Amino acid sequence: MIEFKRYKWPIITFLVIAVALILALATGFTIGFLSENPDGLERVLIDTYGEEWLENLISPWVPILSWITNDYVAGIIGMILSITLMIGVFYLISNSKKKKGRNIEI
Amino acid sequence: MHIPDGLLDPITIIILWIVSISVMIIGYFRMGNLFEKEDSEKLIPYIGVLAAVIFAFQFVNYPVPGGTSGHLVGGTLVAIILGPWASVIVLFLILVVQSLFGDGGITALGANTFNMGIIGGMIGFYIVVFIVKLLNHTSLKKEVKITIATAIGSYIAIVLASFICGIEIAIGGAIPIEIAILSMVFWHLIIGLGEGIISALIVFYIYKTKPDFITTESIMGLNKR
Repeated sequence: MIEFKRYKWPIITFLVIAVALILALATGFTIGFLSENPDGLERVLIDTYGEEWLENLISPWVPILSWITNDYVAGIIGMILSITLMIGVFYLISNSKKKKGRNIEI
Repeated sequence: MHIPDGLLDPITIIILWIVSISVMIIGYFRMGNLFEKEDSEKLIPYIGVLAAVIFAFQFVNYPVPGGTSGHLVGGTLVAIILGPWASVIVLFLILVVQSLFGDGGITALGANTFNMGIIGGMIGFYIVVFIVKLLNHTSLKKEVKITIATAIGSYIAIVLASFICGIEIAIGGAIPIEIAILSMVFWHLIIGLGEGIISALIVFYIYKTKPDFITTESIMGLNKR
């Protein structure tokens, strides 16, 4: 059973920052201070071959979440996925390291 | 700097996958006692927050003069907070999520992890450590030292990663090497300024408000004074 009292502050911090990021994304996409221009690598490729060439690069798969065209929705889903994946993986790492530590002590 | 599918040659793809996976496996064993402590679970929600922050900052592009845009990579930033080995794993997981949206290729995931996690994270971190150790001979405050070092280290790491990225693309034959390297480095000399400033501000804020969250303080020798 998880003791919520013990993890009160990490959880509060987690929720506050997650909400702040969601609001920041919403504000950024709404007032449009974020740039639609290509980033460094895209710029180099577009300058050399043009935008069409970049869009027609061969990929072995269709990215499974590429159907989400709304940036804001994609941002929120991406954040939720990142948080879930990261917490899951580091929970496993932490648990396996502790288990290993206990085995060494025995 | 997310390399899409179809740009690298198969040998480069395979080599960079092997290097990245090897570093992550070594990283698991070398992460130190950070995750062995009894209360290490308390760190996990913060790691989740860090993941959200890095994802959000990588996802949104800020305008850069010259018709391009930049976004935070965050490798050096994560390495300063969690240590160099953990940063490679964090960056890899974020890149996995981004590749699901088509931001960076699935076959190029090894290369992207190498550029942003190993060069941007680990190498950037050791540049920061080197600069902090130089600054330890001055009378500057600890938070000023780590902020200056983060800004410079993050900047150099991004430019270096863009240089390596240029070489990888050129090996794939997509662009001649002189154009690939020069253009990549040129744009990232400008884009890297944002990386340096954002990373430094975040590290400064954390160091002022919750310094124990910077788990690499002792490696940098900041806790001696």
